[in-house]
Amino acid sequence: MPDLMNKHVLVIGGGVAGLEAAGRLSKAGIQVTLVEMKEATGGHVVDWYKLFPDRKDSMEVKKYLDELVSADNIHILTGTTVSEFHKNHSHFNILTNKGKELLADAVVVATGFDLFNSSRKEEYGYGIYDNVITSADLEKMFRLGKITMADGSVPKKVGMVHCVGSRDEKVGNLYCSKLCCVTAVKQAIEIKEHISDSKVFCFYMDMRMGGAHYEELYREAQEEWGVTFIRGKVSEASESIDHKIIVKVEDTLAGRPLKMELDLLVLMAGMEMSAGGKSMAELGNFKRGENRFFESSDHHFGSNTGNIEGVFYAGTCTAPMNITETISHARSAVAEVTEYLKPKGN
Amino acid sequence: MGKLYDNLLDDIRFEEGLNACMNCGVCTAICPAAEFYCYDPRRIVDIVQSQNDDEIVNLLKSEEIWYCGECMSCKTRCPRGNAPGLIIMALRGLSQELGYFVESEKGRQQLVIKRIIGEWILNTGYCLYLDGISTAMHPEQGPVWKWVQENKAELLERLGGNYKGDGPGILRKIPQEALEELRRIFEVTGGIGRYEKIESFSRKKAREMDLDLDPEGIDNEYIRHIYTTNNGTHNR
Amino acid sequence: MKYDGKRAIWSEYQKEIADDNYFYVRSCVRQNFFPGSEVTFLRIMKQILGKDIYEHPCHTTCSGIGYHGDVVPVETTMTVVARQFALMTEAGYKNYLPSCITSFGLYTEILDTWHHFPEVEERVRRQLKKATGREFEIPSNLAHASDVIYKFRKEIAAKARYKLINKNTGAPLKVVDHIGCHYAKMFPSKGVGGAEYPYVLAGMIEEWGGEVVDYPERRHCCGFGFRQYLIQANRGFSVACSKEKFESMKPFKPDMIITNCPGCPMFLDRWQYVINEMEGKRYGQNGEGIPVFTYEEVAGLVLGFDPWDLGLQMHQTDCEPILDKIGIEYSPEDKYNTGKNRKKQEVNTLIHA
Repeated sequence: MPDLMNKHVLVIGGGVAGLEAAGRLSKAGIQVTLVEMKEATGGHVVDWYKLFPDRKDSMEVKKYLDELVSADNIHILTGTTVSEFHKNHSHFNILTNKGKELLADAVVVATGFDLFNSSRKEEYGYGIYDNVITSADLEKMFRLGKITMADGSVPKKVGMVHCVGSRDEKVGNLYCSKLCCVTAVKQAIEIKEHISDSKVFCFYMDMRMGGAHYEELYREAQEEWGVTFIRGKVSEASESIDHKIIVKVEDTLAGRPLKMELDLLVLMAGMEMSAGGKSMAELGNFKRGENRFFESSDHHFGSNTGNIEGVFYAGTCTAPMNITETISHARSAVAEVTEYLKPKGN
Repeated sequence: MGKLYDNLLDDIRFEEGLNACMNCGVCTAICPAAEFYCYDPRRIVDIVQSQNDDEIVNLLKSEEIWYCGECMSCKTRCPRGNAPGLIIMALRGLSQELGYFVESEKGRQQLVIKRIIGEWILNTGYCLYLDGISTAMHPEQGPVWKWVQENKAELLERLGGNYKGDGPGILRKIPQEALEELRRIFEVTGGIGRYEKIESFSRKKAREMDLDLDPEGIDNEYIRHIYTTNNGTHNR
Repeated sequence: MKYDGKRAIWSEYQKEIADDNYFYVRSCVRQNFFPGSEVTFLRIMKQILGKDIYEHPCHTTCSGIGYHGDVVPVETTMTVVARQFALMTEAGYKNYLPSCITSFGLYTEILDTWHHFPEVEERVRRQLKKATGREFEIPSNLAHASDVIYKFRKEIAAKARYKLINKNTGAPLKVVDHIGCHYAKMFPSKGVGGAEYPYVLAGMIEEWGGEVVDYPERRHCCGFGFRQYLIQANRGFSVACSKEKFESMKPFKPDMIITNCPGCPMFLDRWQYVINEMEGKRYGQNGEGIPVFTYEEVAGLVLGFDPWDLGLQMHQTDCEPILDKIGIEYSPEDKYNTGKNRKKQEVNTLIHA
């Protein structure tokens, strides 16, 4: 589109949403600058190993995104954050932390999410008891091919705790993070694959298996791998004299409280608005919703737009979503941006 | 909405204690009473929130609502901000107001609590007063307590107390005017009314059970019965 | 165990504790079972720390045990509490200092209720006025006596004669800290360190030279349960709870237990005696029990007060093992002397080997 070749869009955030949006914008002929606060792009996806539902290596997704943003009309600035952000009529003036001044016709905010800091769920002892880890820690173990307890021994009894940092008034997050249940199921299967004689227990409140092939994965976990699912929220974890983890939970379907000793406890950490997103919200006066993610103009047909005209949202900065949804959301943001950038009167 | 549920809503602790329960079981998981008794606080909250009066009446008459130790460990953990312990307190209050408490072995025990703690508050200004804590009723206090009881005046003086004395100090005599203020508070706020209900429903039950119950004091058949009887079906 | 994780949590729960001019209200249980502790508290506050702390002679019970025994209705308890606040206002004080943990929990709960439901506070004001003619102000600060000792733990350490260390090995004593349920479980932000890793006693232990012991059932209720203890038919519940804690802490070989609630030290002390009588089982080392203390007793011990002035003779589980470990001087013959009566008395306690 020749009208758009002179247009410049700033993409804030170099994770899945930001890279996808930048790539699609560049294909439309638009000049793109992408700023990413870390020293490398990729966001969270590079921290995972095998992705649900099809168990592909996350690096395949990274490879796809890297190719997508390889065009000449994209400039990627890593180690860069926004220091000042001003809207002037239909332009945006931006100053980066490295002193670079940018002028943009539209902005795509793709600041993503942070994982819930599990040490805030104090009663689970993350950061205190040696054998309590998060789902993110476990993914790193999967990539190294070694799942061990703190002292290096192989765990035989593993517990997965759903809803850590989600659906919980006590930590201030009332919403469901959507992806933790399927993560627990996937990781349970992976533990069984690595340690065939292990016993894995998933402690859940509800099984939220709403994505494509999620429910089938849950069934596979039970039928093929013998993962045990216990319906009860873990109340507390404590450490025995030999550093094993003791959890207290009610098996609500049997109506009985139980205490279980485990070798390793894995916390399914939920998703929260990222720190980078919070700063951008303040800098740009972007409204945030009650769940502290960016507030969209409309739930159904306005999820890519917010309270500032010319600013568009892509990805998990608006709500928990998986990689498929993030990519779709970034593409829909681009559709909104190109529509916005067309000369008025057409 | 049932009438009983409305009664519960009148109790401020019920309003504070129940938002809505999603049956996650975190309360039962941590509850000491659930460990040792046939008790499940999650189940009780679930029944109450159904607002079914028949079920609530059953609860008010049941043994179940008397197992809680009011430690409030449940309140710390509930992801919905509920407190089963507070709901239990509201249920216990209503059970006594309506007289259902005498239908359960554990509920009937309330008369003992009223006649010791309840009356000590009005008569002495303390919930517990030394003279009334006998080794007969509390053998678990051990030989040391027997020695304390036998030497209390000297012991308290030696430690620096003010046993039955005027002015401030340990186990002092609380002035009569203060006790009168307490009594008036109890009258104005329904405390005396509650005591009277506990007494009258218990009297009726004692007649039904053919056990002697004097109008005052703890040395009688009915009190001894409810203080010591355990039918052995309460525990897991 | 990573101790830094706990430190991070402790630093998040800072609590405002008044530093002087306290209105002190006593504990029913402690006056009966640990009178020496309340005496010691006032002695430390007035003589060691030079604080202004006042006890109104007309103050009464907060009715907490009656409230949690479910015989006293909530409206009555709230009005009794309002009367206590009125006495504080009358005496010209604003910093409220209960000696009892159940009281502290009750006052915190009621202030929170009034904050969220101002119409309830209004109603209680009317009821108090009608019954007694009194009016009250809400306290500016509400802190428990253990919060205050925690606040001044360094000052106490500076004046201490002894430390919580084993005089023979130089190693810190292993101390279990048991926190009363009603201290922080209802309102974690009102407890120093929160509900999961409370620091109010751990801070004292660390400052005075000891080592804190964590064990799986650390947060478990001691089992008072109000009606569960008061009625003989229910008492098994109470023993079972304490027993579970003892079994859980035993492998960690604690030297002593310190608690901040009135009932907890009484139960943890007496139930060791009862379990020994019923099952012949003891939880300390060398056939001993694990001595249980209030925080005032420990403060008094490190300051060098006479153990029998602190009231340790009222414990059923012997404290002498700890006194010997620390190297505290005491006179065994004086243990059961009550001042006037100098005759030597023998009492059956949980004897150490």
